[in-house]
Formats: sequence, structure tokens, C-alpha cells
Amino acid sequence: MQIAGLLQPLLAQLNSGVLVLDAEYRLVFINQFIARRANLVLAEVQGQLLFDVFTDLPRAWLQRKLDSVQELQIPAFSNWEQRQYIFKLPHLRPLSTGSQYMAQNCSIMPLSSADNNAGYICILIEDATDAFVYQQQLHNSMQQLEQANRIDGLTGIFNRRYWQQQLQLELQRATRYQHPLSLLLFDLDKFKQLNDTYGHQGGDAVLMSVSQQIATLLRDTDIFGRYGGEEFGVILPETALSGAMMVANRVCQAIASQTVSYNQQHIAVTLSIGVASFTGQSVDELIQQTDIALYNAKRQGRNCVRAYASEQNYLKKVN
Amino acid sequence: MTTLYFTEEQRDCLQELVNVAMGQASDKLARYLDTLVHLQVPAIALVETEQLPEHFARRYPQHNASLISLGFFGDQGLRGETIMLYQLENVGVIAQLLGYDDDDSSEAEMLTDISSVLTTTFLNGLAEQLENSFSYAAPRILSSRDQHFVQKLADTASQWQLALQVDIRYQLIDYSFNCDMMLLVPGEAVLQLRQMLNKVLAGF
Repeated sequence: MQIAGLLQPLLAQLNSGVLVLDAEYRLVFINQFIARRANLVLAEVQGQLLFDVFTDLPRAWLQRKLDSVQELQIPAFSNWEQRQYIFKLPHLRPLSTGSQYMAQNCSIMPLSSADNNAGYICILIEDATDAFVYQQQLHNSMQQLEQANRIDGLTGIFNRRYWQQQLQLELQRATRYQHPLSLLLFDLDKFKQLNDTYGHQGGDAVLMSVSQQIATLLRDTDIFGRYGGEEFGVILPETALSGAMMVANRVCQAIASQTVSYNQQHIAVTLSIGVASFTGQSVDELIQQTDIALYNAKRQGRNCVRAYASEQNYLKKVN
Repeated sequence: MTTLYFTEEQRDCLQELVNVAMGQASDKLARYLDTLVHLQVPAIALVETEQLPEHFARRYPQHNASLISLGFFGDQGLRGETIMLYQLENVGVIAQLLGYDDDDSSEAEMLTDISSVLTTTFLNGLAEQLENSFSYAAPRILSSRDQHFVQKLADTASQWQLALQVDIRYQLIDYSFNCDMMLLVPGEAVLQLRQMLNKVLAGF
């Protein structure tokens, strides 16, 4: 049996693209894989320059690769992850991918002919579209997961873990650039009673409605998260205490002025808000001070805003 | 398991072959790049693979080394993997040297290209010395800016029994820097390599 007689049919059946170039980068051979996908006929392109037949190749880049293969007699490679494709060829999953062209792994190898010892170059193209598609799907899933990981399932605002991470980062930023920063912590007034009256579903409806309303009152740069059951936090970057008090009062009034509709009932909701500004404290200290202010708002009648007053100020007032 | 030692003669022979191969590589690269490139190999060292991560953690204390791997297969069971380690701050210089500063190649693409040019040029020469020839797998980045390279190196090295550490020094007319190349060879290939070295030694 003659192996040589099998090589042509083998190259035709091969599920990879094979191009052979001579030392001047003229096409000597393309296999069926390439011919069919590029809609070319070997006899018509044989002897033509690679760059004349495939006019949209990354020319400077490929030329350098080919030069290195020829001069150093070493292989060169290209990976779809780094360069998605070299030849603009269609792929066989046109409907299920966002990409128009076949993702490719490409090997460029030096060849010498047994007959005349002349130098040739083989370009081998492997279809990596599947890997490309899987990677895209993975990437999308990762993004969704990352998003889901930050979000509180009920209210759609940031969850406590993410919100607290952001607080840490914002505090570092405020420290570095010596910018102001304030924190609001607020709590729905008498939420336990509300739950008892309207049931937990009613309570959930209130939590969702209130978070949506508050979100519309904040700036894009403010960071709004659910701190606990009915406790929420807002990080206000670039905001000193006076500005934070304005935001807090606006939120407090807006919630008190409306009711939440639930099962044809109108539920009246109010908030108590504590406010503190960053003056170099740690994250824990800042949260604690804001919490003290919130506690004071609760103690002083609810449905109101209180700023944290440092003990020094407090002492002054007492005196 | 047979212990994977080399006699002093075998080791010297391997060092000599590496020197010759590196000489050929620097000659080829100099002609290709049209600039004076001198690749020196001060010494090769056989390293236990489990010691590699610690060794390189000391050499690259900033942890910002890039690791590029390239697999090779030869006849008679000789096979292995090369790993190039670069300090990332050198990448720009190497890229410029190889003429990559004028197009849209990403850093990852430059790294794999540079590694494949340097290692395959050298390995072709080494194969020739051993009357063998190598085929190569596409290079891949094991670790770059975003990861800690020592763990990656430990993962890779644990699959191999022998590491041949080849420190390469690149010298250009007005610039020089070091990068490291490692040849990682599995145990059975070490036995083959020993036989090949004996054959070369017998020919002297």
C-alpha cells in the first residue's frame, strides 16, 4: 500500500485547515477545509501571494511570524484567547455564538520538501469556536454570579457583605484624598408591629417599596445597602455632615409622606435615621457612631434624623 | 524507582551541549534581529522539582514574574516542558528588541511569542546535538500579572521528576538582563537523556 496515495484524501478529510506557502509566501496548497470555508479553488489561487488571496489578514503581525519561522526554522503559534482569529472564516455554529468568525488556534511550521530541499511553511488552522463559546458562557455566568453575590435577594439593593466592603474602600479613598464622607443608618419604625399586623409578606412588601423609593432619592455615587432585617445603610462619598443631614431629612420626609399599598391596604411607614461623618475613625467606629445616632433618633420619638455628636461636643452642651 | 542522578561526566556533557545550543541560538537570533544578541549560560543546575517554587520565590521576590510553558516531544521518549520566567518589567524591553512595539499585540501575545522564539531556537539546537528533533506544543501562559506565580510553578513542577535549571543572560549592546529558563523532564525521559549523553560521551 502506498501511503503517499492516502495523504491527499487524508488532507481533504482533515477537520483542520492546512495551507502551504513557498519561501515567497505564495500559496502552494490549501486543503478542502480552507477551500470550502474561504470559498476558494486551489487551482485558481495556487502561486498567488497569501496576502493577495486573503486581503484582510493582520499583515504586519503575520509577516513577522512567517519571517521568524523561515529564518529561525522554528514553529510559531497563535492562540484564540489572545487573537481570536487570523483568517476570517465562517464557523459551523453561526446561530449560537455572538462571533461571526471561527475562533482559531494556529500553528505555523517550517517544512522542507524531500525532493528539492526547498523551504516551505505550513499554516495549520484549528477551529476553537467551541472553546470560545464555552468561555463566553462561563464569563457571562461569572458576571451574573458576581452580580448576584452583591445583591440582597428581597430588595434588589446591595447586601450587607458587599456594602460593608464598599464602606471599607470608600473610607480608604476618603482618607487618601482627604475628602469628606458620611454614613446614614436607618431603621423602619415599629417594624415588628407592622409584621404582626400585615404578616411577613406585608413586611416584605414594605421593605421592597421603601428601598425602591429611597434608591430614587440618592445619587449614582451613593451606596445603598441592606444592613440587617429592617435596617439599611447609605454611604455618601464626597459628602460632609450638613449635606448628609439634608439627604437624611429628604429620605425621612419622603417615606413619611407616602403609604405603601399592600392587599388594598395602605400601610403608613416612618424611618428613624442616624447620621455620622468620617473624621478618621475606623469602619467599626464609624458604624458604631452612626448606630448611636440612630438609637438617639429612636429614643427621641422616631420618624426623625439625628447626627452623631462626639462626647466632647456632648460635654460642651452639658456644660 | 531508579534515582535520577547524573554522573559528573554526564552533567559536564549536558552543560557543553546546552552551551553549544545556546551559542547557535544566539547566532541565529542575532542574524534574525539584526542586532547583537549574546545569550550566555553561566551554569546549568539540576534541581529537585519540589525545591523549585522556593528557589524562584527567592529570585523573584516581587511576585510579579510571568511564567510561560512550552511542551516538547522528541524521538526515543525524550520529552518535557520548558518554563520561561520573566520579570514583568523586562517584557517591554524584550518586546522592543523583537520588534513588537509597533503593532496591536497584547502583552500576553508578546510573552508567548517571545518565549516560543527563544525556547524553540535553543531546543532545536539541543535536539540537534542529541541527534534528535523536537516537535512543540503551543506555548501557554501559566501565570502573569494577576496571579501569584509560585503556586503555579509548584503545581506544574510537581508533575515532573527532574528540573534542569538554565539561567540565561541576554546581552545587548547597551542593555542586559536575566531571565530564567527551566527544562522540566519526567523520570523516564531522564533515563533516556542519560543514555543519549553516554552515546555523545562515547563519541569523543
